[in-house]
Amino acid sequence: MILIGELSLWIALLMCVWSATLSFAGGKLQRGDLVASGERGLYAGFGFVLLASLGLWTALLTSDFSLRYVASFTSANLPVVYKISAFWGGQAGSMLFWCLILAGYGALATWTNRSRNRALMPWVTGTNALVLLFFVATTVLASNPFERLDWIPPDGRGLNPQLQNPAMAIHPPMLYLGYVATAIPFSFAIAALVSRRLDAEWLGAVRKWALISWVFLTVGIVLGMWWAYVELGWGGYWMWDPVENASLLPWLTGTAFLHSIMIQEKRGMLRKWNVTLVVATFLLSILGTFITRSGVIQSVHSFAQSAVGSWFAAFFALALGASIWLVSIRLKDLEAKAELEAMVSREAAFLYNNLVLVGIAFSVLWGTLFPILSEAVRGTKITVGESFFNTVNVPLGLLLLALTGIGPLIAWRKASIANVQRQFAFPVAMGLLVGAALFVLGIRRVSPLIAWSLAGFVTGTILQEFYKGVGARRRMHGENPVVALGRLVARNRRRYGGYIVHAGIVILFSAFAGMAFKKEYDVAFADGQEHKVIDPYGREWTFRSDGLSEYRVLNRNVQAISLIPTVDGKTLKPITSEKRQHFDSRGEPTFQPSTEVGILVTQRQDVYLVLAGAINGTAEVRINFNPLVVWVWHGGVLMAIGGLIVMWPQSEKRRRQGGYVAELVPQHEAANP
Amino acid sequence: MKRRDAIPALGAFASLVLVRAARAQQPARTNFAEMEQGAYRPTLRPAKPGAKRQLTDDQRDALEHRIKCQCGCPLDVYTCRTTDFTCSVAPAMHRDVLRLIEGGYDGKEILAAFVETFGEVALTEPKKEGFNWAGYFAPGAALAVGAVAVTMMILRWSRTAAANAPTPAAPGGPVPGVTDEEMARLDKALREEG
Repeated sequence: MILIGELSLWIALLMCVWSATLSFAGGKLQRGDLVASGERGLYAGFGFVLLASLGLWTALLTSDFSLRYVASFTSANLPVVYKISAFWGGQAGSMLFWCLILAGYGALATWTNRSRNRALMPWVTGTNALVLLFFVATTVLASNPFERLDWIPPDGRGLNPQLQNPAMAIHPPMLYLGYVATAIPFSFAIAALVSRRLDAEWLGAVRKWALISWVFLTVGIVLGMWWAYVELGWGGYWMWDPVENASLLPWLTGTAFLHSIMIQEKRGMLRKWNVTLVVATFLLSILGTFITRSGVIQSVHSFAQSAVGSWFAAFFALALGASIWLVSIRLKDLEAKAELEAMVSREAAFLYNNLVLVGIAFSVLWGTLFPILSEAVRGTKITVGESFFNTVNVPLGLLLLALTGIGPLIAWRKASIANVQRQFAFPVAMGLLVGAALFVLGIRRVSPLIAWSLAGFVTGTILQEFYKGVGARRRMHGENPVVALGRLVARNRRRYGGYIVHAGIVILFSAFAGMAFKKEYDVAFADGQEHKVIDPYGREWTFRSDGLSEYRVLNRNVQAISLIPTVDGKTLKPITSEKRQHFDSRGEPTFQPSTEVGILVTQRQDVYLVLAGAINGTAEVRINFNPLVVWVWHGGVLMAIGGLIVMWPQSEKRRRQGGYVAELVPQHEAANP
Repeated sequence: MKRRDAIPALGAFASLVLVRAARAQQPARTNFAEMEQGAYRPTLRPAKPGAKRQLTDDQRDALEHRIKCQCGCPLDVYTCRTTDFTCSVAPAMHRDVLRLIEGGYDGKEILAAFVETFGEVALTEPKKEGFNWAGYFAPGAALAVGAVAVTMMILRWSRTAAANAPTPAAPGGPVPGVTDEEMARLDKALREEG
């Protein structure tokens, strides 16, 4: 199976060449037989990449240490679930995993469009095959997971303990599913540019793929935050690490695209901008991969420095150059079909929303690359850490939050003053009320106060929209409120699913603001010793040490401390933090000791315990009180649910029955004014 | 032992030696990154005459959040030393901070001392001076330029749209291109919208 897997990768490479060549030739010569053969080549490519993946999984599960990859990332006593997830735990395996998803997506895009978008498909298939060709070639030639060792070690090195976490079994696949999905809209954009079919056809085809990418990236990013929070032990969930930033960049431009696409669909405007956003989102995912894999920037999450960095740099440059050239020769075809009519309109609000999203993306990219720039210009190494990113991005984030509430309140085309007053009255009142209440309660920090006031404003917007929608359905159909709410969302998924995403954003931003009030204590505990500390709400907590314990479990030795917390006269269940030393099947230590945090989760705050180490039976413990953290996960879940609602298939007929679909410019009119 | 049996045994022994050698070459890791345990360099200053502590414990912890651990991890000294005892660099830098505080140095002087030892990379954020201002202002400046461009574009579009708009009908008069029946439906829909 392993040999078959290795051979399959080479055959997949040939299939990509075949598919790209025949698809482009078929598109150019208008030959259906060549196009069909190119498509079959892509299906076959997927089949062979799948075989290669099964080969690697077989090697991992059977502990075939003759493969360098298996010996480097697993050991005989590694739990089976982590042997499976070791597939994407290292550079070479994760490259193959990327190929698998890309080939799968490419095949799916071809299959779902077998009777649609036929004029575009040769170019779509060809571009997909070219992108896949790059990834398979990089895997085979620069980072081959089937590379054999000259000797067979008795056991492998094992998987990094930080990766032995359930979130790590799910987070990378989610992120890859999101990253890789950006390739399909990119292929459609290239196809539309090459074939000069830049009307609404290609947009309709990519919207779903952009949503797939967005939902997976959202889930992947939030899972990554959760993993960092529970596994790394530094006390937070986002440290503006280059690799974290790399995942955020395509998410930001993808979010901008999902907003601006509405303007093109309804008004036939922003055609250049939408093509640019689709291309930028894909290129940023490649740039992010370059950052993760090249070792050019120091990061918590990055893979070891390897040769693939230069491959990605070359591919990025090539894709960027080709995209710029294609857009520049099609500028005339990308002229808008309608004009924006007023400054106070939803189109204008969406434009500003796009500006802020892209502005944040620029600021994150700028901060990530600034150390390299500084070294190049001044010859001085600097660190651009969390405080820098917060200084620059918090104001932009607040602006984005405000626009999240403003956009839905303004009418399309042109809003009258009376309309604006009527629409804004309730949300503004709610924002002011929240701000005033928090001020009275003693909140004086400016950023959290603004954030929570804006959260109140956006919540007001969302509630008002649902209230109006439910009211309209009740008047029109005589439904009870619950049925009206259900049908309102079900029949207008894009709009109300979008509001659910906005609600998730509000919760997320409110939780971010809560972290401004976190408190941390560095405390030494002897057995049975007690310490008193104050939480951000002013309550006194007593922690009593239950002593250090040492034991062996699965593939690790564990040193643990349990602290018993008491607050408001109530004793809570113990919180345990561990220091783990992993070992291989012969009992030899495999990695340096790692920290496992103990967390007491409540809706108000997390009590976060870190056993830094122990000296002579005294444990050095950091106790963090992290307000509102659980709401980050709630917000993330809500965003994913909203995204799924938006994405869920709906017939055009049903969509129109929603009663709230504004089709201001019919498609045929937008395309042929 | 027969000669042919000795070959696998020798192979296994050689493998064991190679595995151990490979492990010995593996750099140590913290929770975050490969460590450079030798990265520590002392940051020492003679105590000031009649030295008095100028920082409280909370101020010291806040100061340590502004000094980057040099072990190769992305954390500040406070967070690194309270997260992972595997790192020997952060505790050593912490001891230097304590000595400097006892020596009567204030926060600014302590930061300057660390910059002198390690360079600007000792700080968790770039100093607000010279070229570094570009780091802080470029995103805001780019956004401002973008905002001006978008505003001008919208104004230009709205002017063009206004110029191309059909002449409005007289109040109460017929609307060009719209039948009476369509107007009645529109009125009804607007009334229902409230």
